[in-house]
Amino acid sequence: MTDLSSVKHRLNQVFCDVFEDDSIEIFDAMTAADIDEWDSVTHITLVLAVEKEFGVRLNAAEVGKLDNVGEMIKLLARRSAK
Amino acid sequence: MEASELRGKIAEVKGLIANQDWISAFARLTALSSPENDFVSQARVARLYSGLPAAALGLKSIRIAILASSTVDHFTDVLKYWIAREGFAAEIWSAPFNTIEATAFDQSSPLYDFAPDLVWIFTTGRDVRIEADDESQATAAVTETVRRTQALWTAIRSRMDCTILQNNADIPANDSLGNFAAQTGSSRRNLLRLYNLELGRTAPAGVLLYDLEHFSALHGKERWADTRYWYHSKHAFAHGAYGKLAFHAARLLSALKGRSRKCIVVDLDNTLWGGVIGDDGLAGIRLGNGADGEAFVDFQRWLRAMKDRGVILAVCSKNERNTAMEPFRSHPDCVLKLEDIAVFTANWTNKADNIRDIAGTLNIGLDSLVFVDDNPVERDFVRTQLPDVAVPDLPEDPACYIEAIERHRYFETVSLSAEDRVRTQLYRENAKRAELRNSAGDIGEYLRSLDMVSESGRVDAFHLPRMAQLINKSNQFHLTGNRYSEAELKRLAGLPEYIVRYFKLRDRIGDSGLISVIVLLARGSELYVDTWVMSCRVLGRTMEEFICNTVVDAARQAKCRAVVGRYLPSPKNKLVTGLYQRLGFEKIADVEGETTWRLDIGPDTPDLVSHIRGEVARASEVLDVA
Repeated sequence: MTDLSSVKHRLNQVFCDVFEDDSIEIFDAMTAADIDEWDSVTHITLVLAVEKEFGVRLNAAEVGKLDNVGEMIKLLARRSAK
Repeated sequence: MEASELRGKIAEVKGLIANQDWISAFARLTALSSPENDFVSQARVARLYSGLPAAALGLKSIRIAILASSTVDHFTDVLKYWIAREGFAAEIWSAPFNTIEATAFDQSSPLYDFAPDLVWIFTTGRDVRIEADDESQATAAVTETVRRTQALWTAIRSRMDCTILQNNADIPANDSLGNFAAQTGSSRRNLLRLYNLELGRTAPAGVLLYDLEHFSALHGKERWADTRYWYHSKHAFAHGAYGKLAFHAARLLSALKGRSRKCIVVDLDNTLWGGVIGDDGLAGIRLGNGADGEAFVDFQRWLRAMKDRGVILAVCSKNERNTAMEPFRSHPDCVLKLEDIAVFTANWTNKADNIRDIAGTLNIGLDSLVFVDDNPVERDFVRTQLPDVAVPDLPEDPACYIEAIERHRYFETVSLSAEDRVRTQLYRENAKRAELRNSAGDIGEYLRSLDMVSESGRVDAFHLPRMAQLINKSNQFHLTGNRYSEAELKRLAGLPEYIVRYFKLRDRIGDSGLISVIVLLARGSELYVDTWVMSCRVLGRTMEEFICNTVVDAARQAKCRAVVGRYLPSPKNKLVTGLYQRLGFEKIADVEGETTWRLDIGPDTPDLVSHIRGEVARASEVLDVA
């Protein structure tokens, strides 16, 4: 299984890029409520950036479920380990 | 581009933005962005661009309404950036998701308050409902579907003057009939093909099709669809296509605003044929035979096709003139002939100077030129010396030349007129006139010897496309910079207070075609020159004087006592700064360079001297659409 902390580190960079804010520090319980600009529109940008960074292709159902950082990390660790 | 590399470059842009160095920031964005880049990169560039003030970048405003049946939020952000690259700051209003018909048919919808220059009806193949159980119903069913789309156009255009951009149907990669769909009249694939043909056949002036079907094929049908994001959030096509689609659309918009390129300047050795004519000789150059010989022939065919649709061809080569002309005269496989080339420059002067001369001879701006040369050193030199000239990179293999140029979409057009097909001939005739002028004793003798006749007429169905094209493409001889679509021009011509006229010019050398349009507005005792455009091909032939005399006559007939004209300066119309003064007008206002001019008309105001004889078109009365 891919190391969770390395996934978290890479994911943090994706967040900084997508929201153009280098001060973002992600945490497991983080949701859209914690970042002003994280709405249904930027969510798609975020998911596409995640797909690119981790070289994964999420399925239609997963795209909608990724609303919490902890879930994202777990899913990415699982998918990129395959 | 690697993520880390992109991050570094974006950090630089952010630094420039922090210093409010908007122009450098935009230049850096330009350097790091490409239509081919993936969505993540497009989104970041679009986001950074949105933080730059349009005024500081010198962008002109354009208002676009998008009526879409799918989610286009991300796409419009990317679109704004690519439109900015064409010199426009787009203000985009998107109708609420999937309300196309409600928006168009509701007179009180915000669309009509927004008053856009362009309405983009952004439908996709998914929206096109055609009910046909078998082949016998296909045509009627398609006609009915097209009729529903046309009803949108009619509704929008009856309420405002604007151009409509209408997507046709992108045909899906999959069809239940598989390959056999191609020969089944009622297959989804064939019904959509019929729909697209019918849409193109029936689109009136003022409605421009966006060929989404062609674009999706170009992008690759399998890549084009990303159904996950359709099910999740109603994105109708893959985000990976956004950059290129936005770029193509922006180029089309630029063409609509008269900013397409007009002329290809080509090098000869290793560009039009393999080898060096001066060293290898007529029999030694590679043209026609062998793999690359065939590729050069095809490249020449492509150039000739461009010429046939109205793009001017010029040659710029470091060669002896006679040697350089030899293949055109005598090589059996040379597709291009000397008469296809408007200006033939072969000498040992540097190419930047030569290209400047070519632009001068043709009387077009450097930003109308595309320079094609196999030699990277020449390309770099021209890029540095003449930044307005487009210089596409050319691969070493001539087999890839056409694609390397086409991908830039330099030559998008929104109309075709009879003039387009004979443009090179018109420029060659001008070169002949220049010779005649040089040999004549004085300018008056030369002008009289031309035996010039100008036909003028009203808006009619036959001349309307060219009139609108001239208004929308002219930059240099354009006093007020107005742009009118065919629909707007037709509407103005129908109003009693407006006079809209075209002018043609022919002489013993040839027919220059429709070369000027004026829009006049009679208000009280004054006749205002709302718009006056003229092709620079006919400068120096007393056409301005002839038109001015015609305007004065029109003023008399309209019982006006004065003609009032305005000059609104643009970066490109310095040519006509002093026009009204030259024609005897008096300056009555000057507000930051925007000048207003007046010519009082008495019963004995004399005509200006012109060597042109007038002729009023008869046919236009019959064809009058106004």
